[in-house]
Amino acid sequence: MFTEVLPHPATLPVSVDPAGSTDTAASRVPVRRPRRTGRRGDRRTVAPYLYLLPAVALLVIWTYSPLLQTFDLSFYDWNLIPTQPKTAVGIQNYTTVLSQPELHQALVNTGVYILAFLLLSVVLPVVFALLSRRVAGRAKTIYQALIFVPFLVTPVATSAIWRWLFAPEGGAIPAIARTLFGVEMGNIFREPGASLIAVIVIVGWQMLGFGVLVVSAGLAGISPDYAHAAGVDGATERQITWRITLPLLSPSLVFLALMTILLSAQWTYPIIDLVTQGGPSGTSTNIYYLLYQYAFRNFDAGISAASGVLFFAVFGIIAFAFVQLSEKLSFHDN
Amino acid sequence: MTLILVPPQHQLEQGRSGAGNTVATASSRALARARTRRGLRQIPAFVILTVLAVVSIFPIYWMFVTAFRPTDQMLSTNPLPGPFSIENFAYVWDTIPILGMLGNTFLMALGLAVGQLLVAILASYGFSRWRFAGKKLLYLLFVGSWLVPFQVTMIPNYLLVSQLGLLNTVVGVMVPQLAAAFAVMLLKQHLDSFPRELFDAAEMDGRGSWRALWEVVVPNLRPALAALGIMLFISAWNEYLWPSLIMQKSDALIQVGVRGFLGAEGNNWGAVMAASGLACLPIFTIYIFLQRYVVDAFVRSGIK
Repeated sequence: MFTEVLPHPATLPVSVDPAGSTDTAASRVPVRRPRRTGRRGDRRTVAPYLYLLPAVALLVIWTYSPLLQTFDLSFYDWNLIPTQPKTAVGIQNYTTVLSQPELHQALVNTGVYILAFLLLSVVLPVVFALLSRRVAGRAKTIYQALIFVPFLVTPVATSAIWRWLFAPEGGAIPAIARTLFGVEMGNIFREPGASLIAVIVIVGWQMLGFGVLVVSAGLAGISPDYAHAAGVDGATERQITWRITLPLLSPSLVFLALMTILLSAQWTYPIIDLVTQGGPSGTSTNIYYLLYQYAFRNFDAGISAASGVLFFAVFGIIAFAFVQLSEKLSFHDN
Repeated sequence: MTLILVPPQHQLEQGRSGAGNTVATASSRALARARTRRGLRQIPAFVILTVLAVVSIFPIYWMFVTAFRPTDQMLSTNPLPGPFSIENFAYVWDTIPILGMLGNTFLMALGLAVGQLLVAILASYGFSRWRFAGKKLLYLLFVGSWLVPFQVTMIPNYLLVSQLGLLNTVVGVMVPQLAAAFAVMLLKQHLDSFPRELFDAAEMDGRGSWRALWEVVVPNLRPALAALGIMLFISAWNEYLWPSLIMQKSDALIQVGVRGFLGAEGNNWGAVMAASGLACLPIFTIYIFLQRYVVDAFVRSGIK
């Protein structure tokens, strides 16, 4: 029974489920390792270090050393031109960043985006996946194949498609709005508020099907025996869903929510850049787009670095909290 | 008998044919009734999935419909395709070196995927086969890198690429992304579930760890490597931020080249849709032939 629930790890992937759980999994089966290492006396071999060398060197060069450099840059005033001098300014960049109204707007927007995508890529997918469980076989395969396609559309094409769909002249959506509701939509990418919603619609369109498939995979990993047993005991379908299926699904959901919180700013980046450029007047921007603008539009390395450090710290805390949460929840499996 | 009259959902699904053969006619009539009931209860599910599928597919359908219309009927709102014309594609072909862009991007994505696989194979093998001092710390390096958003490290990365003289080159796009931490973690998970006997047998045959890797481990990893490779290829193809920073003065790659075209063509929607359709075509082709693998790989990894 218990081993049947375990297939989860396939859906709740290695990648997120950080070191912690993989290593505890390993330490739970200590029988294998001592035999292997003990017999071969591998402890002093250089082989593993050689195999790891390329990957670790690349990580150090392109991720960790740049992270330290960003931290360092955040205390300087510099315009990114190698021949120009850097001026040490202490924590001034941080105070500047924190007092910028555009940063506050970007933070609020980032929060709005995260909430919207929690709805579109976690909550709605759960509803859809639970409902679509009843559809089986060939029909299910075809539906799944279709709803995944938007996820694969390349960002330039996504933005072009939706600009065309929303085009005031000849666009399909304004045309539908006109004939069905008699509403003139105008150029929604140029209206404050509407442009933010447009970005949510576009990115939501890409992520929704993906979310449904992740949740469906999670559902498929839950043994039907539990629901069956509860059904025999007289539980209603609603009770089974709320008391058995959803709790068993929670590791997948926590994972999906963490992905959404950490990555939604990155998912929206290309669409913001290609469709609204954060406009009009910053109403659809998010923190990553702001970082990009500070660095490569205003050429202000210090400000960009300082805000980068701040966001990294905030997201690090969120991720840490979620890892704790997911370890707590995965006890359901045991 | 009563148990069969109200069979639980999943038993019905699994045992459609099996149940019919074994039970008496009376209960099979009951089963048929249950099946109809189940059929009726499926209707909302079908409706929802159909709406979802239409919402997912319509924008892509509309892209191709617009692309294949003659230029003078570009603004037509007829939902059906036609009349058929390849004017727009001819225009794209004449205006930008689209074939070269597609070719370059294909080679970039292929090279990057193969490079990422090689680095990940070596690293995951190192992790999985030996126990060594600092293993946990090194593994944390990989996990941790997943939490560093690219936007936070982009300035130093940009400066380094520029110092190496790789600005506006495809190599400059590829090199910083060669260590794909999640590929390492995924392959490590596969290798950890490998039967130890395989390593031991390879050793008894007198193979060193290097030959064991290529002659025993990699052939056994082939399905995992294929799925991961497809996914890395698609991610590399669809990558936007880094190419758009590095290739500011070059339109060798499709993302940047088509972006320039979109900017220049404005409301020439037929041509814009034709160029966008071409930019998606290779990925759609892969998807049509390897649908199952693509979905599985992305859903399992959960990372774009």
